[in-house]
Amino acid sequence: MVHRALKLAAAAGVALLMAGGVALAQDARPYKIGSILSLTGGGALLGERMKTTQEMMVEDINKKGGINGRPVKLIIYDAASDVTKAVAATNRLISQDEVDIISGAGNMSGLALAMKPIAVRNGVPMISNEGASGIVEPIDKSAWAFKSHLTDREVIGRAIDYWKSKGITKVAMLSDTSGFGTSARDELKLQAPGAGINVVSWEEFDMGANDLVPQLTRIRAANPEAILCWTVAPSGVVFMKNARQLGMKQILMHGFGYVVPKYMEMAGEASEGTVLVSLRFPVGKQLHDSDPTKKVILNYIAQHKAKYGSEPDVYGAEAYDGMLMAFKALEAANSFDKEKIRQALEKLQFIGTNGLYKFSPQKHYGLTKGDAVVMEWRKGDWRLLMGAETK
Amino acid sequence: MTELLQLLISGLTIGSIYGLVAVGFCMVYNTTEVINFAQGEFVMLGGMVAATAASGFGWPLPVALLFAVATVTLIGLVAEKLTFGLSRKPEVMNLIIVTIGLAIVIKGAVMMLWGKFPKDLKAFSGEVPLNLLGASVTPQALWVVGASVLVMVAVGFFMKRSATGMAMRAAAADRGTAALMGIPVARLSTFSFAVAAGIGAIAGVIITPLTMTSYEQGTLIGLKGFCAAIIGGMGNVYGAFLGGLILGVAEALAAGLGASGYQDAVAFLLLIVLLLVRPSGLLGGTGRERIVKL
Repeated sequence: MVHRALKLAAAAGVALLMAGGVALAQDARPYKIGSILSLTGGGALLGERMKTTQEMMVEDINKKGGINGRPVKLIIYDAASDVTKAVAATNRLISQDEVDIISGAGNMSGLALAMKPIAVRNGVPMISNEGASGIVEPIDKSAWAFKSHLTDREVIGRAIDYWKSKGITKVAMLSDTSGFGTSARDELKLQAPGAGINVVSWEEFDMGANDLVPQLTRIRAANPEAILCWTVAPSGVVFMKNARQLGMKQILMHGFGYVVPKYMEMAGEASEGTVLVSLRFPVGKQLHDSDPTKKVILNYIAQHKAKYGSEPDVYGAEAYDGMLMAFKALEAANSFDKEKIRQALEKLQFIGTNGLYKFSPQKHYGLTKGDAVVMEWRKGDWRLLMGAETK
Repeated sequence: MTELLQLLISGLTIGSIYGLVAVGFCMVYNTTEVINFAQGEFVMLGGMVAATAASGFGWPLPVALLFAVATVTLIGLVAEKLTFGLSRKPEVMNLIIVTIGLAIVIKGAVMMLWGKFPKDLKAFSGEVPLNLLGASVTPQALWVVGASVLVMVAVGFFMKRSATGMAMRAAAADRGTAALMGIPVARLSTFSFAVAAGIGAIAGVIITPLTMTSYEQGTLIGLKGFCAAIIGGMGNVYGAFLGGLILGVAEALAAGLGASGYQDAVAFLLLIVLLLVRPSGLLGGTGRERIVKL
């Protein structure tokens, strides 16, 4: 009889201890931020830049005491530029690692678009640093998806602004067959007619293509004034080289996935004068002091240089803003309740490296067309051609 | 008309590379009956080593190129000794799978050691394009086609006319009997692998100024070269090269005449069509003996 009672008491005691232990663990449980990046494959270059910045930021915030007194844990998986892997990794982040928020969706639009329904279905806030507008639209299907920067809609719109400012009416588009390329192609198809831009040639290429002469031959025959190439892969270098080899004199342009000095250097003389539409970051030092993003940009550059000995690039800056969004939302929500974190994201307003962010329940991307700049590659550096229109 | 010529030039250039890769496949196949799926990686290695030697070490271009070909040949030799040489059951099927593993190891090692960013090489004689009946040809394209044809002729001559070449073909036809006849089968196997690696490296160094190279480049080039070898008739060096040219031109025409997004599929489509229509390849034999062996 006494044995039985003792046993019961012991069991109850252990259970209480465990409950207490769990409560204690819960109390010290860190905020878990998941990130899917492409560290191998076609998007590898951008992925690496994003990874170093994300790691730097998490380390930094933990040094400062974490968010709301809790440490932050960053879990990164490599999606290898592959949609299937991205989907598998996302499921793992959600069900196995039980992350509170995802910041970083594969650094490729195709992957982000595949991850979105998973985040929505499981009710996990997802912050994407990728380009396609479909990531945050239509809004009724994107309650849990947010974007750290412009969609390709704004960037294409800015390219159109540039063409109009130069009196250019005939252009050609050479896009890759990835989600990023096709989304931009669809955007141009939508916007060009209304803006009076005549797209005389639509060509495509696979991300691994190392010879674009056939496509460029067809483009040459259509006689455009400018050629817009849209990719993140090294094929974009081949584009510039082949075009000049063929003796083509058109303005060569790239989208905001190509703002990489090394790519420009690899194309040698062919990249001289290439025009790109981009976020502010690469020309941050050329910005006017009154531009509020300038301080954030310089601060980020200094931080990166101190830790890694090199300056970051625009993709690191996108990841920076994306991580900043996660930090601020977690801080504002002050809870593990994902719905509260989501609502915090919808109320965000802050100055990042790439502009003045303002979110709302109807608009899950924080920047506007005016945050895109047009610049060219001249003599080994970016030169601002058409500036940002600050709010 | 100039458009068609431009496409043809483009196709023949990249086709020569596919042809060289296919010749590399033939080399190993003719000696061991094994299909060496690491052939594409040798191409990539050639470009990588040359690019590193030229820009990383700052060596003059010709030295860098020779160094690359020599190094990759050596790597091929060592790789064969460590894989085929050590396998206790040198059956064709097993060895083919071993080469797949080798390819993956090489690719991974390059990714770890060299990183993911593509590397480039300076064009051998500048980049000013020449005018050929209205189409523009880069000097590098001439290097590619010229060097490839030279290698093809040399290898073809070697395989058909030289004593070693005949010994290699004997070893492939019947390893046991050849060994009994005093033919050093193991050494020939190593030799063929090393030469195939060297051919791959040559392909790599001549094409890198046009396409740049990265750790991933080898896989698709290897597969397309394999298709080319099958199209031309596996085992026939001239057929393999021809297969490569046909493949290159087909790709360029497909892209140039509309289906630019499906360029990569052309190789595999051609392969399927050809295997259905003429399984022994364009210049291959009746193919009966091959099927019996496999």
